[in-house]
Amino acid sequence: MNAPAPNSQSLSTIGSVMVIGGGVAGVQTALDLSDLGFKVYLVEKSGAIGGVMARLDKTFPTNDCSLCILAPKLVEAGRDANIAILTKSELLSLEGEPGRFTARIKKQPRYIDEEVCTGCGQCTLYCLKQIGDDYNENLCRTAAAHIDYSQAVPTSYHIDPKSCLRLNYETCGLCAVACRAGAIRFDDTEEIVDVPVGAVVLAPGFGRVSEEVLRTYGWGKFDDVLTAFEHERLMCASGPTGGEIVRPSDEKHPKKIAFLQCIGSRDETCGNNYCSSVCCMYAIKQASLAREHDPDAEITLFYMDVRTHGKGFDAARERAIAENNFRVVYARPPRVEDVFDGGLLLTWVDEAGKHQYEKFDLVVLSQGLEAPEDADKLAQAASVDLNHYQFAATDSYAPLETSRPGVYVIGAFQGPKDIPDSVTQAGGVAGICSGVLAQARNSETVAATFPVERDIEGEEPRVGVFVCHCGINIGGVVNVPDVRDYAKTLPNVVYTTDNLYSCSQDTQKHLVEIIKEHKLNRLVVSACTPRTHEPLFQATMREAGLNRSLFEMANIRDQCSWVHMHEKEAATEKAKDLVRMAVAKACLLTPLEEQELPVTPSALVLGGGLAGMTAALTIADQGYECTLVEREKKLGGRTLLLSKDRFGNVPGEAVKKLSDRVKVHEKITVLTEAELDTISGYVGNFTSTVAGPKGNTVINHGVVILATGGKPYVPRKYGYGDSSLVLTQIDLEKRLERKKPLPNNCRQIVMIQCVGSRGDDLSYCSRVCCGQAVKNALRIKELSPETQVTILYRDMRTYGFMEDDYRKAREKGVLFTRYTPERPPEVTVGKDSRNKPIVTSYDAILGEEVERKADLLILSTGIEADDPTALAKLLKVPITADKFYLEAHVKLRPVDLAVDGVFVCGLAHSPKSIEETIAQAQAAGGRACQPLSHGRITPEPIVSSVDPEKCIGCGACEKFCPYKAIQIYKEGKIRKAGTISASCKGCGVCAARCPTLAIDMGRFTYDSIMAQVRAFNPQGEENVS
Amino acid sequence: MSAEYNPHILGFLCNWCCYTAADSAGVGRYQYPPNLRVIRIMCTGRLDPSFPLEGLANGADGIFVGGCHPGECHYQDGNYHALVSASLVHEMLEKIGISKERFLIDWASAAEGPNFVKIITAFTQRVAELGPLGKAEGKSPEEIRSQLAQAAEAARSRKIRIGLINASREMMKKRDFSRTTISSMVQEKCAKALGELV
Repeated sequence: MNAPAPNSQSLSTIGSVMVIGGGVAGVQTALDLSDLGFKVYLVEKSGAIGGVMARLDKTFPTNDCSLCILAPKLVEAGRDANIAILTKSELLSLEGEPGRFTARIKKQPRYIDEEVCTGCGQCTLYCLKQIGDDYNENLCRTAAAHIDYSQAVPTSYHIDPKSCLRLNYETCGLCAVACRAGAIRFDDTEEIVDVPVGAVVLAPGFGRVSEEVLRTYGWGKFDDVLTAFEHERLMCASGPTGGEIVRPSDEKHPKKIAFLQCIGSRDETCGNNYCSSVCCMYAIKQASLAREHDPDAEITLFYMDVRTHGKGFDAARERAIAENNFRVVYARPPRVEDVFDGGLLLTWVDEAGKHQYEKFDLVVLSQGLEAPEDADKLAQAASVDLNHYQFAATDSYAPLETSRPGVYVIGAFQGPKDIPDSVTQAGGVAGICSGVLAQARNSETVAATFPVERDIEGEEPRVGVFVCHCGINIGGVVNVPDVRDYAKTLPNVVYTTDNLYSCSQDTQKHLVEIIKEHKLNRLVVSACTPRTHEPLFQATMREAGLNRSLFEMANIRDQCSWVHMHEKEAATEKAKDLVRMAVAKACLLTPLEEQELPVTPSALVLGGGLAGMTAALTIADQGYECTLVEREKKLGGRTLLLSKDRFGNVPGEAVKKLSDRVKVHEKITVLTEAELDTISGYVGNFTSTVAGPKGNTVINHGVVILATGGKPYVPRKYGYGDSSLVLTQIDLEKRLERKKPLPNNCRQIVMIQCVGSRGDDLSYCSRVCCGQAVKNALRIKELSPETQVTILYRDMRTYGFMEDDYRKAREKGVLFTRYTPERPPEVTVGKDSRNKPIVTSYDAILGEEVERKADLLILSTGIEADDPTALAKLLKVPITADKFYLEAHVKLRPVDLAVDGVFVCGLAHSPKSIEETIAQAQAAGGRACQPLSHGRITPEPIVSSVDPEKCIGCGACEKFCPYKAIQIYKEGKIRKAGTISASCKGCGVCAARCPTLAIDMGRFTYDSIMAQVRAFNPQGEENVS
Repeated sequence: MSAEYNPHILGFLCNWCCYTAADSAGVGRYQYPPNLRVIRIMCTGRLDPSFPLEGLANGADGIFVGGCHPGECHYQDGNYHALVSASLVHEMLEKIGISKERFLIDWASAAEGPNFVKIITAFTQRVAELGPLGKAEGKSPEEIRSQLAQAAEAARSRKIRIGLINASREMMKKRDFSRTTISSMVQEKCAKALGELV
């Protein structure tokens, strides 16, 4: 394998990708790549995929159940024939070049045959050797023969070779006796496998802060000092205490809890000066859930700065603090002490410089994200460079590329980040790989097949009802066994059961068996919402040979247990009613024929800024035609307003390179001075009219990307516009490029953060202004070291590696003074440039107002959305209260919009940096090509159908159908209506207006809705009309 | 204990806006009274005018129809057609002598979980004040149900439905989607057929 290819040009590209790391980023990459027509080898170090997200109880900012949203993806990856999951495996070496690599993988033995293991768990039951349960942060024990967690994919047990009695001492072997499947393989050995792949994606996630750092805060010494990861497991229903937050020392509920932030982050003493970006928000989440568990708990959060800079995060934080009465203290307690009565003592210095101390029952350490422990080893194996914090080294303008061509990096290894950003990068890297390997698309993949559907014609309904606990999400409020037993009494129900998590892979397997065994012909899942989970269960039905339309869900979580948390009995009654209504409907469901629609293999991208151009190139590189529409004369957008990035590069140069590539790309058509006029159609088949200087252009396209950008907020206070000495950061960017950027004898420059943001004109945080202020402060210091720069801020949100700049700025003498929204700075300005602005602000340490005469006053203003209302109405996509596009799922579908085939990236989604914009645009470009690469779509067959016997040919349906999907035809002299299934979107207006009720809707038939109405009847069904 | 009446409320929510809003209310843990039972429909345009009447005949004290904001229907005009059906329902309720407040059609976008909660909480409160169906109306449950069943039958009749087609047609032609205009169109187009309803 050391022999290089003699002439690589002549060799073909390999249509497969290796993804190292099976966390949410890796899994999403695998799913996206499989969808784009590539074979994936998903290499996971541990025994199961899922990563850290599988260990979380909830995810911020919505407090959505983590495993509930992750499990369908894990199951999907597990059942995808084009994703090979290699567990207990690691990369040893990588030879070759982009398009043709050979990855050498070491696969550790599982000692239990994955193919044979049924996941019954007998081995764990009989195993004599207890070990710490890593999944539960070693807060409880598991056996040497175990599965990582109950929803694990693959659903297969494995044996820990370090502790197994048989493997180490040739004794025991009970598991082999207990295993009825005969899956135990004590002679299993390590394997070395060479895998040919076209590209490699590194997604190993993050490492933990060292125990040494944790010990300085009493962890390991005092029982009741927990890491946030341990606390997360305590909160979780599948955790060691079944979801009860108890103090490890006495198993009592803590009444006073303290969260300490920045443990192992923003801390030069442990070498981690960077900010981990996620801890501020996860602490808010954990605090909220701790309060939910115990409404009497008093919770204090100790922050240096509150960094909740993500989309919707500030709003979630403010609501959480207000509703739960959290105390937020701006301080960093240096240590935790024991006071011998079971309490833990914290001491700190408050903002006024006073010494404070207080006792707490439980202390949670919000630990940061480090580079993976084996970053060095992985970097060597893949031959990629690391940065000074051991994360993968990348460039702002190519954030997902490592130093080695053909090897990419995503997720926390690229820099600390949260789940949506990781998932975004996953989509982006899939788009990039799909471009690089475009010629090999579909060369290594197999088509998914399902068994032939069972004909249920003439069968009586045999309904199976599955009631989900969803951990404690449902089970903590609704009496699930009661609902299950109730379901058993309903007509036509022949099977009922309850599951801890209905969406786990083993439950899906059981579902298939149960459907077959009990000859079920209708399925009712009583769990979360059909909007997110219906496809998962429908896929399972198809595996069991049932038509997917024979499915109904009762939404007893999102619309029941979560909204009636304090009314357990009423919620249980409601759940029963919803199940009864769902069963009544299910009995009347009939199999519906699937339809396939062709796809126009091209894209329309609206907006020719950084995001739009990047998205267009990502699409075009994958081999699809793309039209890029820009309102202005020139491409480039508002990135051009920035004169330097934080590394001293000129963003304009990168934008220029990008626009040069866009202009010459044979697959891209650029329309400038043009705007979208109309758009109609649906995924695969959109038709748009673009109005330009030369008239209208009609474009047929399969998908559309909204990269319409944002604009700088224009402040209306602090003398902006009145005095030439008051500038915004954007004005300053331009001014700093002048020959003489600063006024003569410039003594002091004052910057004010959050002008117009965070609850002022704009309710949100614009994420980038703190970094920009620090960057520009450093530029000023470079130009004129003697100029005093003072930054008045609320929270310095220099997240991630930007923290280096913040530190550098302080070292260079930039002054940072915090102000509160209750006491904002005040400014007086004169009319001409001789009158310097006077900035007055309250200084907490001095305890008085301080006046500063500024030679320049710089206002850090945020980013506004370009009003999307009109476009959103055209496309029928929702927008947030802040006028950004609302993604289909905040966590797991960050660039998809609710309407299929419509994607968003850049500032139109939310304020973000250059690097983040590029990754998101690549994600939109990657995701958008999924329907294009399939060449066809199979929409849900919920279309209308006409009963010609009843139809009187009045034509009302034809008149009101918004899609021309129902038309009058003549049968001799008689007029009849007929549905064009391919065009029908299933709205049902035709049915509601049909004068003779001759039209009905698939899955939403008149009779099935009436069955729901009758089943609703609280008095029973005696009043049937 | 003089507890307030605990009403039975049936909802028809469109998949794209109101149903999603209801889900997002859940994700955000916004609490509201546990009286609502939801039937998911793809679009409020699917709402057959007989459904709300049947709902009331089948034990509901109030009916809520939730869709996308006007102009934001996922299928262009479905919620406007729903307003036509809703006007008929209101007409019929008035005719029978049932408080029109027992039937509400309102909007919440996918992003408006809290708004959905506000609407449902207020509606539940109002229906609770009205009490069991028949109480505010001073009618026996038997009488009211048989009248509702008749009204539902009428809503399925060709005469009424052709009236609705005409109202929908005129609404689309004039592109006037105000509730009052739609209501007067329905009154006018269905006047004769409604007159026959005793």
